[in-house]
Amino acid sequence: MVPSPSARPRVRSFRLANGLRVLLAPDAASPTASVWVWYGVGSKNEHPGITGASHWVEHMLFQGSPRYGKGQMDRAVIRVGGELNAFTDTDYTAYFSTVPREHVGVPLDIEADRMTRALLLDPEVERERTVIYSEREGNENSPEFRVSEEILELAFRIHPYRWDALGYRADIEHLSPQQLREYYHRYYGTRNAVLVVAGGFEPDGMERTVRERFSPLPAGGDDVTVAAVEPTPNGERRAELSGPGTTPYLEMAWRSPALRDPATPSTLVLDAVLGGEVPMFSALSMRRGAEHPASRLYRALVDPGLAVRAGSSWHPQEYPGLFSIAALAAPGVALDRIEARIDRELARIQRTGPTPVEMDDARTKFRRGAALAYEGASRTGFRLGYFATVAPDGFEQRLLAAITRVSARDVRDRARELFRPEARIVVRYTPRGTAADE
Amino acid sequence: MSDPATPLRLEPVGRVGSLEVVRQPAPEGAPTFAATYLTPAGWGFDPKGREGTARLVNQLAVSAAGPWGRIELARRLDRAGGSLQVDTSPEAAEISVWGPRDAWEPLLEILAASVRRPRFDPDDLARAIRQLRERQLRERNHPGSRAHAELLRAVFPEAHPYRSSGLGDGRSASRISRAGLVEFHRERYGAAGAQLVVTAAAGGTAVERAIRKHFSGMSETSRAPLRLPAIPRAAPRRVEIDLPGHSQVEVRVAGPSVPQSAPEYAAGYLGNQVLGGRPLISRLFQNVREQSGLAYGASSHLETLRRGGWWVAGAGTGADRWTKVVPLVEGEVARLREESVPPDELGTVRESAIGEIPLGLESTAEAHQLAVDVVYHGMPPDFWLTWPGRLRAIRSDDVRRAAGTVFDPNHSATVVVGPLSGGPSRAR
Repeated sequence: MVPSPSARPRVRSFRLANGLRVLLAPDAASPTASVWVWYGVGSKNEHPGITGASHWVEHMLFQGSPRYGKGQMDRAVIRVGGELNAFTDTDYTAYFSTVPREHVGVPLDIEADRMTRALLLDPEVERERTVIYSEREGNENSPEFRVSEEILELAFRIHPYRWDALGYRADIEHLSPQQLREYYHRYYGTRNAVLVVAGGFEPDGMERTVRERFSPLPAGGDDVTVAAVEPTPNGERRAELSGPGTTPYLEMAWRSPALRDPATPSTLVLDAVLGGEVPMFSALSMRRGAEHPASRLYRALVDPGLAVRAGSSWHPQEYPGLFSIAALAAPGVALDRIEARIDRELARIQRTGPTPVEMDDARTKFRRGAALAYEGASRTGFRLGYFATVAPDGFEQRLLAAITRVSARDVRDRARELFRPEARIVVRYTPRGTAADE
Repeated sequence: MSDPATPLRLEPVGRVGSLEVVRQPAPEGAPTFAATYLTPAGWGFDPKGREGTARLVNQLAVSAAGPWGRIELARRLDRAGGSLQVDTSPEAAEISVWGPRDAWEPLLEILAASVRRPRFDPDDLARAIRQLRERQLRERNHPGSRAHAELLRAVFPEAHPYRSSGLGDGRSASRISRAGLVEFHRERYGAAGAQLVVTAAAGGTAVERAIRKHFSGMSETSRAPLRLPAIPRAAPRRVEIDLPGHSQVEVRVAGPSVPQSAPEYAAGYLGNQVLGGRPLISRLFQNVREQSGLAYGASSHLETLRRGGWWVAGAGTGADRWTKVVPLVEGEVARLREESVPPDELGTVRESAIGEIPLGLESTAEAHQLAVDVVYHGMPPDFWLTWPGRLRAIRSDDVRRAAGTVFDPNHSATVVVGPLSGGPSRAR
């Protein structure tokens, strides 16, 4: 099959003298413009005692800078009809605003002001503490979040992927304003950031504007390499959790390659065959949460009535992360049966690999998804910024081409390497105190 | 705004039988296509004692249809690069298809098969009922889902179709049969009272031909519309449900509201933006989160349907904080009814509401949603072009007056669900 190129837009890229990388993706037809700033800082930069710092700093960058007092950034963007937000992950923190195209100067001014000069004042940090706490509590209401945290704890002993980006409860209680300011000043800055502007603007004028606003910023921002290498696991790790909820839930995980590892293409295809999702190459609209009846896990678990939901998940990260399989039990089905059925399914794919039909379907999904993934200024800004931060220099295109070359044998071999019993983590969640409905 | 091909102006194509067909030009250069079929087949029409029927019919319609079993249909969609989605409300059911522009023809064929010839295979039905049971149990035990279900029960009287979330319970699920689903589908998935909205690139003659080919000959039998009993006068009530072991308490303050066609809707819409509908700058967000630090999220929402609706304001907060959050939320709703919104504050949300319209045109999927909203609510084809003018005509006092109706205090309720007797959170 001839690989179909992704619809990646034409991009003008340059670097300012202070180190800031800039990507401009003009689209004359776009009614909007989307401004993204991606920082190469996330929970990978933290250590016990300051877990959650990246996420907390993200919140604080909305709480005031020299030219925008508390609440004024939000107001400036929203009053022109724009939307803005931010998110923090293990490897990055990203801020975005999408506005009607004639107002693109508003978010550019905000991002320039808070890139190196956010205030992080003591009273605001203290007031934000309970907000962060509340965000965490909202997540804890979900058994899936509790299981996911336990999986990370079991999978990683020394690597900072051990904790969720929200941070530990104890660290949220004790992190000080001074610690957050030090963290911000160390990692935020022009050398550790990518600015992306996508949508309706004229590129020459935009380049001038960007140079005017961002060139005066001092060079700064450390892009650190995580030195900790997680030792190879030498035995299965397992935990049983219980708590509020309705339905027994099971998640299994295995250590997976880093994004730039040569094994990434075959692992992505394996994920597509098992679970049906192709998250790195999807249009991110009207597809999330869809069922995948043709996927292996759906057919093995949902069709015969063992589970009401089942799938695999792999979000490649900068360092080796986790490939996981999760299932929500059908009423009355014990988790032991589900676990045994997953084992059988994994044994099958290690024995015979995917069928030609499955391989063809997976390649089609990647190709089709890639062709639509850049629709609209916001998605374009997200996608360009993501790849520029975690895997720059044409990696996306090379990855897509490599995926089309993956063979069924590659996927089978990948499954054999990945699903080693001694590397498995299993967390099972059993609800207690379930209320009846009648 | 005068461009005749703008996605903001819908183009009525005419009717196929009595099926109303509306076309929307896709945003310029958009690589995708979308179409939605809407029909009066919401859970307000569920047969008594078999609640859950409408949701199951809608879900199963996109599972296996026409010549395609579940796996074949999924593969066909994947090969086209498309997806099918469903949505159900008390009044209506929707089936949508989305995918690459160049695959519009097979996608439209799949949509027609899902609408007209769902298979309701027995295995598929058994699976869907298992999934329904899981959702029913989650609705009872998850604080957010339970709070939503309880607020509907508190706000709407017995026999009102908005009172239910459409999931039913174990008993109703056990009474659902394939024959019942087939019957519901036969009665409700026809041409009468239904619409088809298509968002496609300009030059849609071929699309129109395909619509006629795939959607001609549907059932023309009209069915009785939804009956909405009057909501009697009642004092505000309070519902507290303790779900121990969770971390967060969900607070909701809610009441009945008006349909989008109501004359006071535009002023009420701006009132909701002031209260909590516009993230980050709204009163709830500012007071509950930014000033008090009591919650991560605090917002309000107007759920407007064809015949009525409800308003809801709320927040998720800690077990040690919910008693502080409840009066803050209740107080902000009351303030909106009692005081005029300062002109500056109104101006900000008004300009925001007008300015955000282009954001709805970033992609076909987003533009299509604007079109489906217009058609669902029976608004004129140029609704989005006239909307800014309607908003600009709203004055501060209009919002206060409208708030008395749109945020109706009659039959309102405060619902609190979660670890009320204490959770793992600690006060600071």
